[in-house]
Amino acid sequence: MSGECNDQQDPVNRLLATARGDAVANPFRVTGVMMQYYYVCQRELWFASRNLEIDRENSAIVRGTRVDDSSYGDRGEENLRLGMISLDLLEDGRVVEVKPSSALTEPARMQLSYYLWYLDRVAGVERDGVLAHPTERRREDVELTPERAKKVEDAIRKIHEIVSDESPPEPEEKPFCDSCAYHDLCWC
Amino acid sequence: MDRNYHVFSDGRIERKDDTLRVVTDDGEKKHIPIEHAEAVFLHGQIDYNTRLIGFLNDHGVAAHVFGWNDRYSGSLMPERGQTSGRTLVEQVRAYDDPDHRRDLAASFVAGSIHNMRANVTYYNGRGHDLSRVITDLDNASERISSGMRVEELLGVEATARRAYYQTFDAVLPEAFALEGREYNPPPNPVNSLISFGNALVYANCVSAIRATALDPAVSYLHEPGERRYSLSLDLADLFKPLLADRVLFRLVNRKQITTDDFRQEVGACLLTEDGRTTYTRAFEETLEETVEHPNLKRKVSYQYLLRLEAYKLKKHLVAGEPYEPFKKWW
Repeated sequence: MSGECNDQQDPVNRLLATARGDAVANPFRVTGVMMQYYYVCQRELWFASRNLEIDRENSAIVRGTRVDDSSYGDRGEENLRLGMISLDLLEDGRVVEVKPSSALTEPARMQLSYYLWYLDRVAGVERDGVLAHPTERRREDVELTPERAKKVEDAIRKIHEIVSDESPPEPEEKPFCDSCAYHDLCWC
Repeated sequence: MDRNYHVFSDGRIERKDDTLRVVTDDGEKKHIPIEHAEAVFLHGQIDYNTRLIGFLNDHGVAAHVFGWNDRYSGSLMPERGQTSGRTLVEQVRAYDDPDHRRDLAASFVAGSIHNMRANVTYYNGRGHDLSRVITDLDNASERISSGMRVEELLGVEATARRAYYQTFDAVLPEAFALEGREYNPPPNPVNSLISFGNALVYANCVSAIRATALDPAVSYLHEPGERRYSLSLDLADLFKPLLADRVLFRLVNRKQITTDDFRQEVGACLLTEDGRTTYTRAFEETLEETVEHPNLKRKVSYQYLLRLEAYKLKKHLVAGEPYEPFKKWW
């Protein structure tokens, strides 16, 4: 019995219960973007979890939206929304995640891995993924191996820890800070 | 950085294809490139329709409306991105916590006095002896203590501002004697200029606040009042010396504005259309001036300083990081 009680406290189980629409006392959601932020910048993750607005005129944001819309205009216009996740597009049964550049590959890989994990655990659908960088004409296959699934679940627990905190992690100067939509909010 | 556009004539503002168009009553047509607009300021009698509101909303552009006597009478604010229950809850919580409210109120007063002092120091070094005013401001500043009630802080601010206004009489020519600050309506040219400038600072602060999902009506130094954006008053106090007062000093001392730019109307002294145009142009140029920001490590416009102030306040309220009021650092 006590084991079941602990299970309810585990963020991964809470997330799954939330996603399945079970009655959960304290629902917990992780979006694909949150998973990406966790690997890019944990302060950004905290800001995003509080809906602190980003600078929409930020050139990187504008660019990302444009690459998304223009490269796959006919198919990608409607993102496929599935509970907490929003897939860029499905192609030959594979989940494709579109990124403007390959500058931050691991975060994008984990975002996609999270989608695959979510599809598998919540919808019971096994899918492979493709990371696409249309501007660079590069693609990379991503598969949900047991190691990746574990990495996703560990990340979910860490994300829970960060977003439950009253205050964000301290700012930390990173090479890509300059192009971040939260830059001014972070450093002002 | 995006800029403000002012419409002084009467007429109509409308969407024309993908731009804004102003058609004045005498048939003149002007286009405003909406991609580069922060806000439009409507000073004349202007017609508009819902199509315009949708268009402004899509581009995140505010429209500020001014009535008789250049009084701010309201804004059409873009809806996008300005709803955040959590932000509002934190904002109200801080108001409701006496210590927290006091700390914020004290920050605003400290910042305001610092920025008034910056103007006085500048003129003190230019042939005017204003050391007395500087001492008064420093004394006021030292009176701020953590145990003060908000009313006392308002008193400190008022004392400081009274002392500060002596600068106006020292620096400005005789025809622009202040003879005490009066508004509603302003009785003489310099009061009229202060009122007009403050209204522009205030409206720009409304824009900045509304870009952050903070509620402009929940304030800390000023009492949240009905029918006005009192948080805008809190922030505007910080920036009036930098924006409104500097423009006033410059225009009057360079004789770009003279007593001919005013007209007397039932006990009020009001700027003529020429006067408003001259003032507004100089004000907008000032908003576009830039300064190197020590933390952002790039140049930012004075107008963007208002936005940053709203960011800082929001970050403080939501993330609990300390709030440092704007203090002119250059």
